[in-house]
Amino acid sequence: MVDKDISGLIIITTLIFLIAPAFLVLYIFIYNRRKKRHIEEKAQMQLTFEAEIAKTQYEVQEQTMQTIGADLHDNIGQLLSLTSLTLNSIELDNRLKAREKVDAAIDLTVRSIKEMRLLGKLLQGDQLVVSGLSEAIRHEINWMERSGKYKIKYTRAEDLPAANNPDKDLIVFRILQEILNNIIKHAHASRIYINLEYNEGTLKLEITDNGIGFNADELTDDQRGMGLQNMRKRAVIIGGEVAIKSNPGEGTQISIFIPYP
Amino acid sequence: MSRYFTFNTIVELTCLLVASICLTKDSNRAWRGMFWFLLITCVTEMTGIYVKGLYLADRAHVRPNSWVYNIFIIFEICFPSLMFIKILTKYANSKPTILCGLAIMYLVYVYEVITDGIFKKHNLTITLMAVLFVLYSLYYFYCLLKDESYINLKYSPAFWWVSGILFYYFGGTACNIFYNKLSTVIVTPKHYLTYYIYNALNLILYSCWSYSFICRKWLTKTSAA
Repeated sequence: MVDKDISGLIIITTLIFLIAPAFLVLYIFIYNRRKKRHIEEKAQMQLTFEAEIAKTQYEVQEQTMQTIGADLHDNIGQLLSLTSLTLNSIELDNRLKAREKVDAAIDLTVRSIKEMRLLGKLLQGDQLVVSGLSEAIRHEINWMERSGKYKIKYTRAEDLPAANNPDKDLIVFRILQEILNNIIKHAHASRIYINLEYNEGTLKLEITDNGIGFNADELTDDQRGMGLQNMRKRAVIIGGEVAIKSNPGEGTQISIFIPYP
Repeated sequence: MSRYFTFNTIVELTCLLVASICLTKDSNRAWRGMFWFLLITCVTEMTGIYVKGLYLADRAHVRPNSWVYNIFIIFEICFPSLMFIKILTKYANSKPTILCGLAIMYLVYVYEVITDGIFKKHNLTITLMAVLFVLYSLYYFYCLLKDESYINLKYSPAFWWVSGILFYYFGGTACNIFYNKLSTVIVTPKHYLTYYIYNALNLILYSCWSYSFICRKWLTKTSAA
């Protein structure tokens, strides 16, 4: 009787001790399958992300080319036509008038050179970010300061990540260029503050100006589409966001948050 | 002659045969060592049956075959420990810990030889060995779960080898703990209860191991191709 009791007890205990590892092995199998699915999903997401980045870069490039085309046609083309016309209309007999026209032609040529430099800067973006986002920002600021119209203060946190992400750098840099172009064209600002900092895996670029500001709600669809929507769209593609604070007469503050690197 | 071919020995010989086909040319020493370990296992099993025959014929002058299995413990401690070092190297530096465990097991073994002699089953060493091997197996599974990379477990030799160990030593815990009581429990006129339990555990262990050796062979072939 005692033997039977012990046998039953041992058989049950052994069965339990066999079922436990069986469940463990089963659990590992299920977990492993989930791990596989997760890896596949991650790879798919990475592919989608890379495709989006490539698409955005293409769009940015396309936009840059459009700007260059329009500038060449509307601005530099006009200036050069005007220069040609001015030079053609010079009457060598009338030295005083000829002098005036040559001066006008020189002025037009200088303006053309300025416009050409502006276009060159636009094309340079890709090469600038190779040496890092901060360096590219510094280069952009140097260029703007040379005009003498703006006082720019640039602060950069010391703890920026050592590893770069060139894809994200280029997009952030293009957003910054867009913002600075808007300041040049519309803000009538004299002071610009640019701050680049890094906190817990997020890169924050903040651009503040003392310009005329605007009311975001009152912007037309076209105005929004060209600038702000583009900025937002580009930031979203690299997993970031853009926050805009502005009021008429109070300047504008634009903050870009990007997960980095 | 037929008495040498029991359920246990057939399972072990089959596993040895699989090991001889799959592992003798393996590039890794630990995996190649498994063939020698299985050979020692089969020799021990045959010797055990032979000594048991002598004991049943002359109980007055011949001792039971426990001493054969006690000698086998020396190899049983060593070979799987080396395999665990090999398997766990991928995830962590487990060598010092496993070598430490190996030293402790041998110390307990020597202690049992001194206190109980060679003819009494070294149950303490076996229990300690089972506990350590179960811990190593669980640690391997933990590393497997923690690892971010995906391994196809269906064809993972290490996974099946460790699973066999876990089933055998964890499943045998109840038998080890109650060994003294169990050795008196007879199920059929011919065999003790432990005989059936160990048969089942051996079947699981050697099935897992055989499959792991086949996977190992596949893996070597695939990576060579």
